[in-house]
Order: sequence, then C-alpha cells, then structure tokens
Amino acid sequence: MTETPERLRRFSRRHIVNHLIMLIAFTGLILTGMPQKFPNQPWAKGIVLIIGGVQRTRALHHFLGTIMVFQLVWAVLENLWFHVAKRLPMPMVPRLQDVKDFFRQVRFNLGVDREPPRMNRYTFAEKVEYLALVWGTGLMVLTGLILLFPVRWGTLVPGEVILAAKAAHGGEALLAVLSILTWHVYFVHLRHWNKSMFNGYLDEEAYAEEHPVELEAIRRGETPEPDMSPVSVTAFAVLAVGVLLLTAVTWLWLTSGRINILTVMNGH
Amino acid sequence: MATGLLLFVWSASSAFAADNSACLECHGSLQQVKDAAEMLGVTVSPDEAERLVVVMGPNCIHGGMGCLGCHPAAEEVPHPANLLTLTGNPCITCHEDVVQVLSHSAHRDPAPGTDFPVQCWDCHGAHVCRKVSDPQSAVAPANVAQRCLQCHDKRSYLAGVHGQAVQLAGLDVAATCVSCHGAHDILAQSQAGSRVARRNVSFTCGKCHGRVAQVYRHSVHGAALTENDNPDVPTCVDCHEAHATRDPRSPLFRSSSPELCGKCHANKAIMSKYGITTAVFETYVADFHGTTAELFQELTPNQPLNQAVCYDCHGFHDVAKVTGEGKAEIEKNLLQRCKRCHPTATTRFLSAWTDHYIPSPKHYALIYYVRLFYRVVIPATIGFFLLYIAIDAWARRRHHGRKV
Repeated sequence: MTETPERLRRFSRRHIVNHLIMLIAFTGLILTGMPQKFPNQPWAKGIVLIIGGVQRTRALHHFLGTIMVFQLVWAVLENLWFHVAKRLPMPMVPRLQDVKDFFRQVRFNLGVDREPPRMNRYTFAEKVEYLALVWGTGLMVLTGLILLFPVRWGTLVPGEVILAAKAAHGGEALLAVLSILTWHVYFVHLRHWNKSMFNGYLDEEAYAEEHPVELEAIRRGETPEPDMSPVSVTAFAVLAVGVLLLTAVTWLWLTSGRINILTVMNGH
Repeated sequence: MATGLLLFVWSASSAFAADNSACLECHGSLQQVKDAAEMLGVTVSPDEAERLVVVMGPNCIHGGMGCLGCHPAAEEVPHPANLLTLTGNPCITCHEDVVQVLSHSAHRDPAPGTDFPVQCWDCHGAHVCRKVSDPQSAVAPANVAQRCLQCHDKRSYLAGVHGQAVQLAGLDVAATCVSCHGAHDILAQSQAGSRVARRNVSFTCGKCHGRVAQVYRHSVHGAALTENDNPDVPTCVDCHEAHATRDPRSPLFRSSSPELCGKCHANKAIMSKYGITTAVFETYVADFHGTTAELFQELTPNQPLNQAVCYDCHGFHDVAKVTGEGKAEIEKNLLQRCKRCHPTATTRFLSAWTDHYIPSPKHYALIYYVRLFYRVVIPATIGFFLLYIAIDAWARRRHHGRKV
C-alpha cells in the first residue's frame, strides 16, 4: 500500500487510455452517425454541414468505427492475457450477488433496509454499463461491417438481414447514447464527481461508500496475484492467434471482390 | 462581291429613286427632320425627331418598295396628323395569307378585324426588314426571344438549355419561342390544336427529340396522356420545364429528382386514383440511397450524387408499371439495375431493398421486429434507468442531507 490515505489508486494507465480512446471514438461516432439516422432533422443537416458534407461525415464515421473494431479486438486480447495467461480474477463478471445487491440497494433507497449493500470492486451499476458496452460494441461492429460491405454480405445472408442490421445499428446507437446520458452521467458525474477514470484515483470516502469490500481487502494488503503457467500461456497464445487470424480472414473476405464505384462508372 | 452589291444598290435606287429621295429630304437625317419641322412651324420632341428619321436598313427585303407603298397617305404634304392609323395595316395588301392565319391565332384581333394586339412590325421590324431566313433578321433564332419577351415574361427561357444554346453557343437549331409555339399560327395552350397543349407537347418536343418522345409515348405516363388524355401524368415540360429547360445531366437535376417525382407520387389526392402508395417517397428517403440523396440535396445540391435516385431503377422516358410484370421479371430487371452500381450483386442482394414496402409482419418481418424490439427496449431501459436514478438521488439526499 503506497497510496496516501485520502486517495486510492483505482484504475491503471491502461484503463485510462482505453477509456479515453473509447470516449473520443464514441462521441465522434454519435456526431457522425446520428445525422445519418435522422437525415430529415434540421440539426442533422447542420451537423453534416459543419463537418463538410455527407461523404466526409461518412468517411469519418468509418474511420472512427475502425478504431472501435481495433479496440474490440484489443479488449479481447487483453482479457485473454489477464484472465487466461495470468489467470487473474474477473471482477467485472456479473454474479448472483449483484442481483441481490441491486434489490438491497432499492430497499435501502426506499427506506426499507437500514444498511446499504456492501459491494466489491465493481458495483452492479458499473457491471450493467460494462456489459452494455461489450454487447453494444460487438453488435455495432457486426452490424456496421454489414452496412459497410452490403454486397459482400449479400452473398452470404438474405438482403433483408442487411436492412435489419441497419435498423439494429440505429436502434442500438440510440439506446447507447441515451444510456450514457442517463445511467453513466448520473453515476460518475452527478451522484459523485468521479475523476478516477481520468487520473486513476478515487478518494477514500467514495471508495468506502461504493466499494467497501474491496477497500477492506486493500487495507488487509490482499491484492490478486497472477498465476502464470506454461499451459496458461500456451492457451493464451493459441487463442490470441485464433482471434487475430479470425480478424484477418474476416477483413480479407469483406474487402476482396469489392469494386470501387468509380471503376464501375468509368466502365460504362 | 463589291460589284454585285453596287449593282443591287444601283438597281434598287434607280427604279424608285425619285419617290424616296423626296421623302428623304425631310426624313433622311436628324438635321433634316429639324429643318423640316422648323419650316412647317411645328415642334417635335427630341424623341419624336429621332423616330422620324427613317432610313431603310441594309438587306431589307422591301428595299425596292417606295415609302409610299406602305404609307400612301404620305403623298399629301404636309402629312395628315393620323398618317400611321389612317390606312390601317399596309402589309395585308401583299401578305393576305399570313393575315388570314394570324386572324385565327392567339394574336388575333378581338374585334375581329386586322387590329392585332401585336402587329407585323412588332416582330419583323418596320424599316429594318431583313428576310426571315437572314441570320440577322429580327425574327432570326438569336433575336426572336427578344421580340416575344417584350410582352411575355418568360425570361427563364434564356437561362434554360435551349436559350443558352441559341444565345451563348450560337446553336441556331436549338429551340426558340417559335420552334414550340409556332409563328403566325400560335394558339393558346388551352386550345386543343395548340402545339403546347398537354397532349401535343411530346410531339412538339419530338420534332427535335424524336426518339425520346417516341419512347415516352410508350411509357406508362406517355401512353396515358396520348391515349386517354389523362390530366395527371407528366409530359416533357413537367419534368424538364417548358421555358427554363433544365439540363438533365446536371448534378442538380439528379440530386433534386426524387422531389420532382415526389410532386405527384407523394400526393395522396393523385395517387389514390390509381391505387399507388404515397409511401414511395418516404420509404426511399428511409433507405440508404435516399438518406444520402436527402442530405446531399439539402447541403451540396450541385455536387455529383452517386446514389441511386428514382429513375436509376424505374427509368425515365420509358418508365413502366411495376405491377404489370411477373415477380421473376421484376427481379431480373431490378438485379440488372442494381448491378450497374453494384456489379457483384446477386439475387439474394435484392431483398436488401424493401421494394418501397414499409416493413410489417407481412413484408420484411425481420426488419419490422428489429424495429419493434428497439421501440420497446429503448423506452423500457431508459425509463427503468430514470426511475432508479430518481429513487437513488432521493435516497442519497435523505441519507447524506446534501445535494447529489
């Protein structure tokens, strides 16, 4: 324990950088994506005008989407490294305890219980958000790739799926924006001004309120230790290579056979 | 060349020289007009004096006629005050046939006499009377619009492709006013025999755009007009405009074309007569192509739009009924259209477009249910979030006694 009593290290530089990239990409995707979902709205036209046209808006959206794809692949690799190779615990995974914590918190909030639930490193509110992010990014990347290469996907799935992907891409995006504006803004900006995702530290008072179980473990000097073995590292290597290969093959499949629209126009 | 000209001037002047030289003594120059006025003791305004200088223009077809040929009353000197109206229209004497035609045209005398609302010289000029076929005549292709525009406010013609071709490109074969409306036999658009009556427009345009007009007359629009006199279908000028003829190859024409088709196809009153859905426009805008076109049209209307618009799939002059053909035929044709931009498209790809259907449990159910899912899940999730937040904020205020 090297931290000062009033500030405790909560997030590493890796978390901070990941979050920052996500923040920029997410905001950019919303700004370039929403005008495409609501093209008739005056604000949509204003945003597209400021960006400088539909084509640039779309190019930016594709660029930021590609960053999202890289982040998704990176997140998978990271998780494999920490939880397959190093065999560290997975505190983000929801458990039955989280459901209990939720109901206990509601009862406490309504004045039924006298004590609030005592939560660990991640509260149920954080887990909901993380799960939504994982599921949402996966869905957005998948549907986004369908929309980016519709003709390619048309050789594999009925065309209707492409349009369903468009509906899902827009619906999921709206759900994500509204969730961020309500759930995320409330829990990290309004309920408590939580800067830990930017500077890495959370003050003790907030730690004690939101993560008392983890705080006690820290106080006792219990920090999870990696448990690497040749088997676990090999498993990681195999899985990581598999993920990278899958990514590369998917990318090659999507981009092969693509014909530039200008080639088509010149050919006529 | 010079000899020929000399010969012409000599022959013209020798035959009637005596007649005209007498007239030109007073009307030959501004000074002569002023001198004559002074001699006769009458006052003429500077404008009037200028008008009274009458010299026949060069290459005048009537150059051989003496002044008295048209102004017989001018023999009396000093001239009677109502000299110009005294003898009526002098052209009638020789051009009886033209006057007959004019008397049945939109420019006829309401009386009915020969007091036409527009007189021969208003278009042909009086003393500047070149042959009609002379490229410098008042009614030559490059000049005729100027004549008509004096009364008819159709200046947009000059900005249209025809007007620009004639005026800027010097393309005398391009359409001028008379190409479409006729000259002496102009009839109002409301008259059945008019060249610009709705059902005749395609024939008038077809004088130059023959093959296009023929294709149009076989289209669903053209056939309805020429065979059944249908007042709802568009003819050439409804899409291309009559006077401001827009260049259909311009990016603006393309990017604004969905709205053009939408003028009728989004109009419930017209479409209900034919059992055609007005959802075609909104379903197009809701689609990827339409979304792009919509944003394009609004923000960069003059940029070339590479997204499909109505006529890329339906055709334009040859636009046909889509319900008339069998499903297989429609699919075959549609795939061909898709392939023009998506060359690797397959039959499976066709259902990536809803055929203007609004997704429902019957048509495109998958899309319908995905939309329904989000229509339920979004308000439910956000509603739950807000409710939880409200309770949590209220509880924290109670427990901590401070604002959250």
